[in-house]
Amino acid sequence: MRLRLSFDRPSRRDLTVFAGYCVASAVYIAIGVTWIDFLLSFWVGLGYLLLAAWLIPTLVRRLA
Amino acid sequence: MSWAAHDLEPYAIQKHMRLKVAFVPLLIGSYSPDLMTKWFVYGIHLGPWDLKASNPEQFHRGWPGFGFTHSLLFGVVIGLIIWKVFGSKLWGVSFCIGQFAHALTDTCDTLGTMLLFPWTYHFHVGAWAYAGQTGRMTDAAAYFSGLGSIWDLVFIVYGLYSWRILTSQYFDEVIYRADAFWPWLNRTVPRDALVVIYRAAFFYGASRWIAWTIWAHVIHNYPYDLSWGGPHWVPAAHP
Repeated sequence: MRLRLSFDRPSRRDLTVFAGYCVASAVYIAIGVTWIDFLLSFWVGLGYLLLAAWLIPTLVRRLA
Repeated sequence: MSWAAHDLEPYAIQKHMRLKVAFVPLLIGSYSPDLMTKWFVYGIHLGPWDLKASNPEQFHRGWPGFGFTHSLLFGVVIGLIIWKVFGSKLWGVSFCIGQFAHALTDTCDTLGTMLLFPWTYHFHVGAWAYAGQTGRMTDAAAYFSGLGSIWDLVFIVYGLYSWRILTSQYFDEVIYRADAFWPWLNRTVPRDALVVIYRAAFFYGASRWIAWTIWAHVIHNYPYDLSWGGPHWVPAAHP
């Protein structure tokens, strides 16, 4: 019997969404490493993510 | 104690239980043992006052203290209260499972948890050092230098490998359908924002893991020690 790990391949759209979150994460990490208090609260993380992954993209789409 | 695992484990549990659990109470349950205590373990400054437990590890995990929050009984009692008060068995059970995950994960450090409280024996695997008594920064440096950090990494990799659980399609088909909380929130919050809220704990856990690792090993050069019970450069607390 051969065991094989199967990996579901993401679509281009999935990868685009993932890339957006990676950019948001890189900015979050940069701020957090500079100002460590930024990393301490889940609510700050949630607020940041809503801003970066929802509010700003929504505003940009509306303005475009 | 764990730093990012409590953010990440609920996604792994959700993946395996699908509609049998609700994500929000699962996450609240996963956070619940430390919700009221962590600030007093590390201490805070309030104007002229410094508030900190005189014996942080005893306060956090022991008895007398708030160690009972890391017991299975605590999860069952709060789960039953949620079930009876809010009339939702799903929320009660989900909270309970999340709290169990936290209590079991924390047995992996050197201090362990009183899993079967009121029996005050500390179940401990001792894989990584408990260093909460040394303060937040030293604790972070120690945690992200030992096997605890690897434990967190396992859940980050598992979450990325199981990437479909983070998609909007999975949110629509499983997360939203499993729990009336999401349709209720959807009355005031757009669906796209709900997906972001659902992903937030994973984002927070994974990003924080990278940030603390950079902080500990690039900025401050704390040494890695992946040996059992390490890192041994920090004074670990034991039962």
